[in-house]
Amino acid sequence: MQEFFELARKILAEQLEVDIASIEMDTTFEVVEADSIDIVEMIMALEDIYHVEFPEEELEEFPTFGSLITALYQYLQEVGK
Amino acid sequence: MGGDYAPGEIVAGALEWATASPDNQLLLVGRQEVIEAEIARLKEAGQVACAPEQIVIVNANEVIGCDESPATALRRKKDASIVVATALVKEGRADAVLSCGSTGAQMAAAIFILGRMEGIDRPPIVTSLPGEGGHRTLLIDVGANVDCKPAQLLQFALLGSAYAVSVLGISSPRVGLLNNGAEETKGNALAQQVHALLKKQDNLNFIGNVEGRELFSPQADIVVCDGFTGNILLKALEGLGLFFARSIIKETDKPPTILESFDYSRVGGAPLLGVNGVSIVCHGSSRREAVANGLRIAGDCVGSGMVARQAEELAKSN
Repeated sequence: MQEFFELARKILAEQLEVDIASIEMDTTFEVVEADSIDIVEMIMALEDIYHVEFPEEELEEFPTFGSLITALYQYLQEVGK
Repeated sequence: MGGDYAPGEIVAGALEWATASPDNQLLLVGRQEVIEAEIARLKEAGQVACAPEQIVIVNANEVIGCDESPATALRRKKDASIVVATALVKEGRADAVLSCGSTGAQMAAAIFILGRMEGIDRPPIVTSLPGEGGHRTLLIDVGANVDCKPAQLLQFALLGSAYAVSVLGISSPRVGLLNNGAEETKGNALAQQVHALLKKQDNLNFIGNVEGRELFSPQADIVVCDGFTGNILLKALEGLGLFFARSIIKETDKPPTILESFDYSRVGGAPLLGVNGVSIVCHGSSRREAVANGLRIAGDCVGSGMVARQAEELAKSN
């Protein structure tokens, strides 16, 4: 999980051009000014790396970085990645 | 399939364009049975004059509504008409895509399917405003990006400049920042930050702040603003033009032709800049005249090599 967190964090930080340290588990996407396109881009980047297709999630249900990547990580575990 | 008057007026306008453009092919993307029914209805009414071989229907069973989160809906609805239509451009089966539906979905489709030019976060919509002595001022962004970061307005300026140089042939286009005053310290936090960014950009001919009333003077070639402001401004101008036209008609029976410049139906549509393909955004309330003119704009953008020329010019400034 830690490895996945660091990877997702790095991807999002690069996309948003923010300091990676500003993205923690409890950081809201609103605070780092990430919109739905930014979030979907991060998800798509992770899909390319892990060769999966994450189920379409209602992004409104994941207001924080941690809540989203926890859900994504759980899916990876379920499909054995 | 998007738009207040879809599919009827969209199909009708598209067929009007096809009739006027016999060398071009028209790909109608949406629910096949719905499109076929509209064509049949128009044929019965004697309103189809283009050759049958000009029309190709590409089936797409889903639609992304204006009330849906664009990026999420794009992932979920892979058979949405905007997704299928934009993919046709990506695949080279079409040269341009036009939509009267969700602008957010169209932009998301352009970003994820066509791809962005290097250095561009969010593609803006550009329109041109009429002005004194035939001058036209490009206004960017008129609605693609409601909430903007300062760096994005800088990108709008760079894109507008690249567009003006490469497509309009304007050397060293003058770039202004829409603001509530001419002084450098004017404006909200966003405007002040953007002003600072534009000022230190060596490869832009930044002339400073431009007030609303100067939009119709030859002061600037390009004026940048966030999409929220730009969209409100654009629609206010359209409404004002309509108000003047109606008022003048009451007195003279005929409005001055200059007011036609504010009639979005005559303009048709506006291109998204900064993406690797021609994507024309039309008003949600577009009827057939606007759709036909929007397709004409699409043809102009394709014919001028807008995308390649813009990318080339933008690369020089990166």
